[in-house]
Amino acid sequence: MSSNLNLKEIEKRAFRSTYQDGLWDIYYGLMVMLMALFLSRPADGFGWLNLVYLAAGYMAAFLLFKTGKKYITIPRLGQVTFGKIRKQKNRTMSIILGVFIFFQILLLIATVLALVNPQVGNWFDRQLAGKNELLLVSLVASIILCVSMSVVAYFQEFIRGYYIAIMMAVAVFLILFLERPIFPILVGLLIIIPGLVLLLRFLKKYPLPKKEVDHD
Amino acid sequence: MTEEKPYGSQNPVLAVDRILHEPARMQIAALLYVIDSADFIFVMNQTGLTWGNLSAHLAKLEEAGYIQIEKSFKGKRPNTTIKMTEPGRAAFKEYAIKMRQYFDDLPV
Repeated sequence: MSSNLNLKEIEKRAFRSTYQDGLWDIYYGLMVMLMALFLSRPADGFGWLNLVYLAAGYMAAFLLFKTGKKYITIPRLGQVTFGKIRKQKNRTMSIILGVFIFFQILLLIATVLALVNPQVGNWFDRQLAGKNELLLVSLVASIILCVSMSVVAYFQEFIRGYYIAIMMAVAVFLILFLERPIFPILVGLLIIIPGLVLLLRFLKKYPLPKKEVDHD
Repeated sequence: MTEEKPYGSQNPVLAVDRILHEPARMQIAALLYVIDSADFIFVMNQTGLTWGNLSAHLAKLEEAGYIQIEKSFKGKRPNTTIKMTEPGRAAFKEYAIKMRQYFDDLPV
């Protein structure tokens, strides 16, 4: 039993304990691998079907994550609801992420406009003349993802989240710049493997309680 | 003639809440103070107490009105949710203030 009675530390330790199952790492790693598989443009071009596969893959990964939480984590670690300060932090994080998403939507609209409207397309071409367009797009996309993921890591006090943020940024850069799925798939594995190790350690540290009896 | 004060009334440490002063219960109360609610297994894992030990301490805290224990079923499994009550929060806060005062006055 710990003798430390620093309330902030107790709350932090309780909160961080919910991440020690490695399931978030596995989930993010799967997301990267799915992106690599379905967003890297194959030689025969990029199809809309890829987006459908990607969405289905994301749903499957999320389902796997939720199932893991329900059948592996909660029976072993228990369930907890955190207080007002934590909820406030989550709200702040959602607002900041909302701003990021807003800028991403603006970028998406600009890209679609450039593709649909030749005048807009020409304007973009003039702005980017002499620059390595692909490199620029790859860098911008990876920076946006890295910063967004770092915001999540900061507010959720998820230390490994910074590592995942960097790895995801590298993966997105490789997907867009090299257009070869093998490298980002390897990056995805570099996220998944620590997650699997953590999951095994979690299973060892928290065996399933033998019987759930009436606690009287 | 001055009226004699009861034993311990001048010593804040003797006036502390005996329910919360026990280390295991203090540990449980500190955890429940910083969260909203948790189930039995979570509290057990966080405090490192055994099933029976935790159960006994929770009963004492509930008896004092410091915590609220709700028993329900999640599917076929029984589930115990523990939450600190408002009087429990006030008592824990008061306990912390008293202990801090006591140690602040101690010439170390």
